[in-house]
Amino acid sequence: MRTPLFRGRRRALATVATAGALALALTACGSSGPSDTSADGGDRGSSTGDIWVITDASLNPVQEKSAETFATSGDVTFTVSNYANDPYKQKLQTAIGSPNQPDIFYNWGGGNLKQYVDAGQVADLTSAVDGDADFKSKLIPSVLDVGTIDGKIYGLPMQGVQPVMMYGNDDVLKKAGVDGMPATWDDLLADVKALKASGVTPIALAGSQSWTELMWLEYLLDRVGGSDKFAAIAAGDDGAWSDPAVIESLTMIQQLVDAGAFGTNYSAVGYDDQGTQALIAGGKAGLELMGSWEVSALNASFPDFAKSDSLVWGTFPTVDGGKGDPSAVVGNPSNFYSVTDGSKVKDGATQYLLDTLTSDEYVDGLLSIGQVPAITGLEEKVKTGDFAHFNAFTYQIVNDSSSFTQSWDQALDAATAQTMLTNLQKVFLGQMEPQEFADAMAK
Amino acid sequence: MARTTVGTGRPGALWAVPALGFFGLFALLPMAIVVYLSFTQWSGIGSPVFTGTDNWTKLAHDTQLMPSLRLTIGLTIVSWLLQTAICLPLGVWLAHHGRGRAVLAAVFFVPLLMSSAAIAILWGGLLDPNFGLASVVGPLIGVPDGNFIGDPDLVFWVVVAVVAWQFVPFHVLLYQGATRQVPGSLYEAARIDGAGRFRQFTAITVPQLKHTIITSSVLMLVGSMTYFEIILILTGGGPGTATRVLPLHMYIEGFQSFDMGYASVLAVLLLVLGTALSLFVTRATGFHRMDSQKEGL
Amino acid sequence: MSTTTSSDARARAGRAGTGGGTGTGGAAGTGDGRPRQRLRRERREAPAPVGWIGAMVWFVIVAVPLYFLITTSLRTSSEYLLSGPMSVPKDLSFASYRLVLESGFGLLLLNTAIVTVATVAIVLALSLPAAYAIVRSRSRFVRRTFSVVLLGLAIPAQATIIPIYLMITQLHMYDTLLAIVLPTAAFAIPLSILVLTASLRDVPGELYEAMNVDGASPARTFWTLALPLSRGGITTVGIYTAMGAWNGFIFPLVLTQSESVRVLTLGLWTFQSQYGVNVPAITAAVTLSLLPLLALYLIGRRQLLSGLTAGFGK
Repeated sequence: MRTPLFRGRRRALATVATAGALALALTACGSSGPSDTSADGGDRGSSTGDIWVITDASLNPVQEKSAETFATSGDVTFTVSNYANDPYKQKLQTAIGSPNQPDIFYNWGGGNLKQYVDAGQVADLTSAVDGDADFKSKLIPSVLDVGTIDGKIYGLPMQGVQPVMMYGNDDVLKKAGVDGMPATWDDLLADVKALKASGVTPIALAGSQSWTELMWLEYLLDRVGGSDKFAAIAAGDDGAWSDPAVIESLTMIQQLVDAGAFGTNYSAVGYDDQGTQALIAGGKAGLELMGSWEVSALNASFPDFAKSDSLVWGTFPTVDGGKGDPSAVVGNPSNFYSVTDGSKVKDGATQYLLDTLTSDEYVDGLLSIGQVPAITGLEEKVKTGDFAHFNAFTYQIVNDSSSFTQSWDQALDAATAQTMLTNLQKVFLGQMEPQEFADAMAK
Repeated sequence: MARTTVGTGRPGALWAVPALGFFGLFALLPMAIVVYLSFTQWSGIGSPVFTGTDNWTKLAHDTQLMPSLRLTIGLTIVSWLLQTAICLPLGVWLAHHGRGRAVLAAVFFVPLLMSSAAIAILWGGLLDPNFGLASVVGPLIGVPDGNFIGDPDLVFWVVVAVVAWQFVPFHVLLYQGATRQVPGSLYEAARIDGAGRFRQFTAITVPQLKHTIITSSVLMLVGSMTYFEIILILTGGGPGTATRVLPLHMYIEGFQSFDMGYASVLAVLLLVLGTALSLFVTRATGFHRMDSQKEGL
Repeated sequence: MSTTTSSDARARAGRAGTGGGTGTGGAAGTGDGRPRQRLRRERREAPAPVGWIGAMVWFVIVAVPLYFLITTSLRTSSEYLLSGPMSVPKDLSFASYRLVLESGFGLLLLNTAIVTVATVAIVLALSLPAAYAIVRSRSRFVRRTFSVVLLGLAIPAQATIIPIYLMITQLHMYDTLLAIVLPTAAFAIPLSILVLTASLRDVPGELYEAMNVDGASPARTFWTLALPLSRGGITTVGIYTAMGAWNGFIFPLVLTQSESVRVLTLGLWTFQSQYGVNVPAITAAVTLSLLPLLALYLIGRRQLLSGLTAGFGK
């Protein structure tokens, strides 16, 4: 509908484009499922809807099952369509606001969700959630905050929490004379020294993917300056990037890099190709900072190590004199479901979310695939599976957290995130000074 | 078309229209649209909004522009020099017959069959500093930590090498085929005059291959100027921005930052550079008259 | 085409040192004492140590990654991490190939095949008549066409990706295979016309005249004369276009996203993050992606070589 540029030309374009039966045949067999289903959706009346999610072999069945369950009780039948991670964002970007948009869509909350909210495309769920006190009381507040924009609830947590924390290979630590995970920044610096002396890379870092480097800045700023500092950045406040706490955090990062904490070749190490996992599991590195998905990821590639006592974990060290609350965590609070404002089945979609997300079936489904849901009162339930201790620890630090800061690259708009990641990489490479970083970001 | 006069058998212009129309639609028209888009703001959602020269003003403040441009020009020139220095002698050498050479030629050809994605992924595995070939070879050649793609200074040369690995086979093929078309009588005459092999190469082979050298150069120059697939997969433009060439800068601005308007400005810049470069090379060398020369053959 | 001789360079072995580094045969000194080299039209087999050395260096550069590719794909992933990249695999394992084939490789292959066949069909259907017109027509418009098309060789596809993305979304073809086919074909047209023009020019003018005298229409001449006689060019264009479409990356990257229309190149990329440290699986996928083209190449090798050569002049 919104195609001013090509209006007149479209027919001519289409004529040429479809010249030949072959071309026509291709259009038919090549067009993708989702747009077809939503087009059909109109014909079928308001009793069907689409849910778009990310491809996840273990999670998708849980999502599909919940849609089936809802279809038996509710008055809307939802179809779950899944897409791979990177393409999904693009897909959503073009579909939202178009006639092809889904009714419920998976998102990352924060800035990612905000752009759709700002465009007026997302339904406000506040009154529905407030109207269901039982539902609301089951959501962990620090997580729900991320789906809340300008005081209104637009996204509801729909999957496990993924706080970032420290991991270690205890064998490597012991060999270097390090006892347990570092509790303070000074401990960490001492551990780095000891680990380096023992001939391993102290901290595995996948520097070719700078979001792994970002985790260090996220935690340091929180510990040094408190969670308000990033909140100011996310809100776009003037001078937020130039805050002394930002500079100090970056200086601490430089300190780590200069101490050889990450070795020398970290910029060539990738996370997606499990470069850091191999370092940790293979005993070539002592520590790593990563999201809580790391344990199941390690288990997939290096099950012997993941299940052994050698794998240890802990919270991010505290910083002496820092203003931050030591209980604060950063990472991916959850992913969120939002309802599109233009959805024909808006009420049904909202009802589906209220009925499903805290239901025993859905929560148990998440637990059964090793996720730790953002739901209160699960202290005992999360102790299941191979990693009961780890799950309990994850659940506990999130439940106890005073704030859960979302990964910055997801909380900020795409362009800022992109610039920030590039500049941060330069700080790690020693190509950029903390002040230069702040200046570049303040633009 | 007249039916009975001489020249009936000649096809009319209509025969060329479909190809030209199609090419125009999907290759020339986009060039016009990209200029339009460079004056709009568009995030990929909805429709472009006209914003005047905002994007072009932004160009002046883009601190990444000059580094990207320098990198692109550097990559273009170095790739051209390196690849020509490899392809010309290798192609000429392979043009000679012999079983050994045929076997080598077959192996040399394999990278040509691989997609950029495949090559980048293969080299990604090779260049892993801890578990790849880089960890074995690095220490032997002065890179003890195997840090080839993580070192902002080395990574440029890695990209040059991988791109050469991909494109050398094609150009070798061109030179090999062209060398075989050089009339043998020229060499005989040269030998009678007492010319040695090197002399034959410089006095006969190279001049005879002039067109091929030009063709190959145009393809190499324009190709490396707009090249980004391997870089995207292998380094993502990093570390930092050490390999963010202009096309990649455009891609990142457009499809990762979703600033299509500004990305279009960069695209226009690329178009101008690419077209100017190829026009320059073809004019400077008389390549554009190639068709008429061929008719003379 | 005459077979060039090089070399009874033996006679000048003394000066051969000057030939260092050149492909035509460089230092021929070691070749002394091979009497058969005096043959006039001897094929170029002269031993050329410098040439051989250079060629062997490049051989190593090409072969080592390929060795890595093949051997790694036959390892188990734990063996890869333990025994390093260059060792000879202990037990050959086809597990990685099985894994790749079981994770949707068939669909990738099918999508890529559809894109490739459709692209080649469109390119040939459009370029052949155009090339025919360029060779035979006296129209000034057609001459211009040729210049435009030659210029098109230099248009960087990357620079037009954003407008193409816009056009494709406006045409509601986003995320379809056709979205990949159309621009891929468009950008293959210039080179195709160039090669086909060269190959049609090789058809002797007298044959055209003969058809003309018989009163054949341009279409008939095209079908009965031009088409059959330019088979070599058609094969070249077919293979070259097929390779481009098969290996295309930027158009699929930007113009599609669903798994149902994913092509091989993007699939490889996805595999990379999906399998991660399971390098054997990735190399197996890369190897599998290579095989169809290898087969195609082996079939059409000669035409490809001669056709490309003709297309680019000497």
